[in-house]
Amino acid sequence: MAGILDVYEKALHGPIMTENEFDMRVFVPQVRRVVKEYEIRYDARNPVPTDDAMADRVYEAAVDLVSSTGVYCTDTNRAMQFSREEVRRAAAEGPRTCRVGQGRDTRIFETRCVDDARRPWFLVGSGIVSSRDEYAANIVEGYAAIAEVDCLNVPGMNSIRGLPVHAGAPTEFYATLRGLRIALDAIKRAGRPGLAIVNHHPTPAVAVTNIAASAPQFGCRQTDAWLCGTIAEMKVSHDTLNKVAYLKTWGANVAAEAGPMLGGYCGGPEGFAVLCTAYILMGQLVHQGDYHHNFPFHFKHICSSTRDVIWGVSLAVQAAARNIPIPTLWAPYAAAGCATKMYFYETAAVFLAWVTSGAPGIMNLHPAKAVKIDGITPMEARFAVEMGLAAAQLDRSKANELVLRVMEKYEDQIADAPPGSCYQECFNPETGKPGDEYQKLYDAVKEELAGMGIPFNS
Amino acid sequence: MEHSDILATLKTAIIDGDAAMAADYADKALAAGVDPLMAVEQGLSQGMTYVGDRFESGDAFLPELLMAAETFTAAMNILQPALEQMKKDRPPRGKVVIGSVKGDVHNIGKDIVATVLGINGYQVKDLGVDVPSLTFIEEAERFNADVIGLSAIMTTTMPYQQEVIETLIAKNLRDRYVVIIGGGSVTQQWTDRIGADACGRSAVDTLEKLGRLIKRK
Repeated sequence: MAGILDVYEKALHGPIMTENEFDMRVFVPQVRRVVKEYEIRYDARNPVPTDDAMADRVYEAAVDLVSSTGVYCTDTNRAMQFSREEVRRAAAEGPRTCRVGQGRDTRIFETRCVDDARRPWFLVGSGIVSSRDEYAANIVEGYAAIAEVDCLNVPGMNSIRGLPVHAGAPTEFYATLRGLRIALDAIKRAGRPGLAIVNHHPTPAVAVTNIAASAPQFGCRQTDAWLCGTIAEMKVSHDTLNKVAYLKTWGANVAAEAGPMLGGYCGGPEGFAVLCTAYILMGQLVHQGDYHHNFPFHFKHICSSTRDVIWGVSLAVQAAARNIPIPTLWAPYAAAGCATKMYFYETAAVFLAWVTSGAPGIMNLHPAKAVKIDGITPMEARFAVEMGLAAAQLDRSKANELVLRVMEKYEDQIADAPPGSCYQECFNPETGKPGDEYQKLYDAVKEELAGMGIPFNS
Repeated sequence: MEHSDILATLKTAIIDGDAAMAADYADKALAAGVDPLMAVEQGLSQGMTYVGDRFESGDAFLPELLMAAETFTAAMNILQPALEQMKKDRPPRGKVVIGSVKGDVHNIGKDIVATVLGINGYQVKDLGVDVPSLTFIEEAERFNADVIGLSAIMTTTMPYQQEVIETLIAKNLRDRYVVIIGGGSVTQQWTDRIGADACGRSAVDTLEKLGRLIKRK
């Protein structure tokens, strides 16, 4: 497998072009071409497709796309070129498993197949900002207390000592350390000191602060994982390459991250499905990921629960499950906020579709598009686990029926979804337990979904 | 060739994102004596409205919008001199300096806003991404802008939106510019807190709000 310098060499020698030229003259035409050539067709009536031949064509289209467009480096203004052979080799030789966590909390992230009865890997949490340390502490402890949780994200901090956290500034560095300390204490209180933390801090947007804070003396462990991102679409910067180089040299886990956008440069659901798949390949070729982390969403609605996103990701998950045996975590976004019925309906639809399609790993939906401060609680993590375990009992056909029924409950509200509550409004901040009202709502929605045929607790 | 056919083809060129055809028919329009303003309003703009409506409804996506805008520009490069000569060129509705703030390399939303404003009569200078706060102000002064548009997608880059406004205040320049902010995490609460004039939820929302704000100033 090529090293980072081999990758970087491609960024020094690929064809030179502006970013706009890459977007409009290379990427857009190639996506359109592969969608047409490989006959990828959206079927709105079946958000959970069962066309295995089309899933395989999505994989082939993704290989074609990556080898045709390359990956653009925004710092050298060149498109790194990869041959089809290199792309296929990346899929074939990528890691089959990823080990995270320590001691009793060691977890092995593996791939899954389509219609796989094994449970998915669970990442819970979000980088949603917590306005107080005690909220962050309670939330993380609540996540860690869920036995099936394999790793977690920790809340973000947007101020330290009253100073705003600016990307690339010392406040970002100090905020990271503070968030990390809170998280490490919280997982110990939950009796899970070795639990892996992914993206210790969502706050560090810039490599220098991320790297500075990512060190053993501050509590970070090689067995944690770090998200190393892309720029939409199919682009990378020195920042990301520096992070990857640092983490690889240290021996820490790299989660190659991408946020494919339906409605962006890839166009509609067909191009989106191909792009979601292509990113897993890019994650190996460029980021040398120990696993892959995709957070797909609809460009206009900024959520993952629209019919076309559910379809596109289902197809990409199936393409990967059948052809790219690399652990991939799918991290969706909800339109509705926490402590709303709609949030749980969205979770149910997304999980039914993607888990039955073979998603190796899945994350709780980020409530309210992840923009509401204090807008997450451990309850969403708990539901994600329960829903993931239930979905694994089903196959795609059954999932499709259920997704259609669940979508009737929320689809027409996506554009105007309820923002939901803050942590301190639906949880007791002192005890860290859900309030009675939230607990009742949770139980009621679960009962409703169980009545539809979702096998909770099976 | 009939004028109506020329206008229809200009509209089609926009819808199809065919810049070569648009430029060709812009030339044909002038050669055939079509009023260049009519070519814009009843040809090109009709196509842009069609594409814009489809983009808003989710039936067309970013590539179609950007290709339509590029096509519009290709035709306008031909028609603009004629409009100026006939003194039929419309003054810009306003001049906008836009960019993604320091530390933020996300650009797609910002690019869409810049495109939509540009095709709706605004003169737009796109500063790109990772733009230092002072650069926004220096470029706004140089460009004689009416509006400064600040995009920030991440919670850690949103403080730079505040920094631009604070710097404008410190330099006694705040009243000179309409400041509109946007980005996935930007809320009305944040907008009010930092003293921005408005928060654009989408490109169309930004267009509507700017229209009202510029009239007021």
